[in-house]
Amino acid sequence: MAASETIGEELLRRGISRRALLKYGAYLASLMALPPLQARAMADALAAARRQSVIWLSFQECTGCTESLTRSFGPTLEDLIFNMISLDYHETLQAVSGEAAEQARLAAMRENAGKYVLVVDGSVSTRDGGVYSAVAGKTNLQVLEETAAGAMALISVGTCAAFGGIPHAHPNPTGAVPVSAIIKDKPLINISGCPPIPEAMAGTIAYLITFGRLPDLDQLRRPKSFFGDTIHDRCYRRPFYDKGMFAKSFDDEGARKGWCLYELGCKGPVTYNACATLKWNGGTSFPIQSGHGCLGCSEPDFWDKGSFYRPLSATTAHPARTVGAAAATGIAVGALGAALARRAKHRALTGGEKS
Amino acid sequence: MTNPEPDAIDRDLIEGLLRELAGHLHALAEHDLTGAIDLRSLPLTDVQLDGLRERLGRGEVSASFDVAGRSEVWETRYPGIWWIRHYDGLETVVVERIEITAVPEILRAGHADLAAAAANLRRELAVVEQDYRAEVGSHGGI
Amino acid sequence: MTLLDFARGPALSTALAVFAFGVLWRLVFLVLLPRVRDRSAPRASAPTAFAGMVRGFARHLWPRATFAGSSMFTTVNGYVMHLGLFIVFFGLAQHMLFLRGLFGVQWPNLPSGLISAVAVITLASLGLALGHRLASPVLRLISTFNDYFSWLVTTLPIVTGLLAVSHLWAPYETLLAVHLLSVALLLVWFPFGKLMHAFLVFVTRSQTGVRYSRRGVVT
Repeated sequence: MAASETIGEELLRRGISRRALLKYGAYLASLMALPPLQARAMADALAAARRQSVIWLSFQECTGCTESLTRSFGPTLEDLIFNMISLDYHETLQAVSGEAAEQARLAAMRENAGKYVLVVDGSVSTRDGGVYSAVAGKTNLQVLEETAAGAMALISVGTCAAFGGIPHAHPNPTGAVPVSAIIKDKPLINISGCPPIPEAMAGTIAYLITFGRLPDLDQLRRPKSFFGDTIHDRCYRRPFYDKGMFAKSFDDEGARKGWCLYELGCKGPVTYNACATLKWNGGTSFPIQSGHGCLGCSEPDFWDKGSFYRPLSATTAHPARTVGAAAATGIAVGALGAALARRAKHRALTGGEKS
Repeated sequence: MTNPEPDAIDRDLIEGLLRELAGHLHALAEHDLTGAIDLRSLPLTDVQLDGLRERLGRGEVSASFDVAGRSEVWETRYPGIWWIRHYDGLETVVVERIEITAVPEILRAGHADLAAAAANLRRELAVVEQDYRAEVGSHGGI
Repeated sequence: MTLLDFARGPALSTALAVFAFGVLWRLVFLVLLPRVRDRSAPRASAPTAFAGMVRGFARHLWPRATFAGSSMFTTVNGYVMHLGLFIVFFGLAQHMLFLRGLFGVQWPNLPSGLISAVAVITLASLGLALGHRLASPVLRLISTFNDYFSWLVTTLPIVTGLLAVSHLWAPYETLLAVHLLSVALLLVWFPFGKLMHAFLVFVTRSQTGVRYSRRGVVT
């Protein structure tokens, strides 16, 4: 493909009509809750845009984010995203390896300086100079700083890149931090989740290409169109929460009837994500529909917020020891105070007899 | 699986949507303003969606095509109100919307497609002509 | 650490520790203090101290006709408020889960709609109590910071709890955190202010009952 070719020209060359882009525009508008009439303008913008160079860096991660993006897609319409980007570097997906792969990254950085999008999955090790995660003698920290310098925008994909995730969990032996802790001078979008919903990743990238700017973000820099509501807000079990009807154990009668999973530790009320509406695996289901509470995986430090099975209204700490110690101290101080009072009274009485 | 009949709440919601459509249709007839409603962005249940679709019915025109997945488009009993549905490769509905317009944009051939088609046709004709000339040249040399 | 993490973790742990320390300190101290023996001779028909205690306690559950005019409102309003607090605290599933997390016991919950209705009534009752205190010149004269602050720390959890279940004004995580923090404030203030009456009412009313029955005072 010629570097100057637009997405529209490329599709045309492959015999795919503009209708495909119109459909994609309608799909994207629906996905991101944009005005439905914008579909046509979005199709026009996409047709005129060049394929977006994307460099994808994987750091301390499990490849679940890439699995989510590449595997969960029904073919065809959603596939169009792969016609809109030029994935110039992705360790798991690219054919080349070793020196050639690194050369491809450097070449893409050179050719698209200031224009490429840098996608990162995984957290960045910083302890001891970041030596705990390195490729070809270069630490993740070095590669990130080097690659981010010429990027137009960064997308932190997954909770590890967005908030540190599991590598960041206590006791965080590698000194893992999110991308935003290191790169502070570039536009940055977080698409959290473990893994993130594929439509959220693809939709955000498509939005970036279509409009050439970042979508509306929340205070954690997540696109509001996917992270604007809590799971709880859109949960089909919500009416049972409002009535106070709760499943008492997994797969009991209430759980099967669709009663709320709050008692079983569901974190839906404090978790912002689109699982309840977009669902997973092409709209098949989502954890709560399968009978398990939400783990809160798209929120910072979800791993360290007490047990997944502890209800939200219960304390996270197990204060038995401190409270017990406080109670014992209370008894001791009370007894001591009373003993002093008794002695004072006794002294007063005996002293009175002497005089 | 058939969904149960819409109840009073469902019917009220459908009524509300119909009123909105009537407003759009008026704007189209009087001021040539097109409109669109994304049905998937509305919190509609399957019963409500089915109820609305049945209420709007089917009109004279319907089309189906396969571009990046299958699509169905039909005009409802009310000319100018079109029901549009796109599927992905797994036959899951990914877009469901109503457009209020004379002809939905998706049915029109795009300008770039027209230009490409013209070029293609001309090239094909040129090839045929070339073949013809070659044939005439080899057989009928006068 | 988010506000909710702080509330669910260190804030509540600390508040519970302060509560346990304060309540036990005061109770143990009061029980073990040297007492002044009542050296007066009991009247001839005086019941046993235990019977006097029970009778006195029961007698104070409702005002005598003589005092009905002056104390009927505070009595009825007091019952409404205390019963309301009891129902809300033990009836809502989320509260049961909080207590289950601490003590490991559980019981069936009441419908959330009912709890909200009771909470609104309780809130109104607290409002009336404050209004009564402010409107009565005598009550106002003898009211101290302790009275007003105890009222405030009791009222705050109800207001924030109602907001949390109705998801009004702020995201749920913020409302839940504020609610838990208001409970932490209540727990910390409890042993040192007038809320301690929840324990001491049994001591004071019993003592009054014993004394009055010994001397034959009609209450």
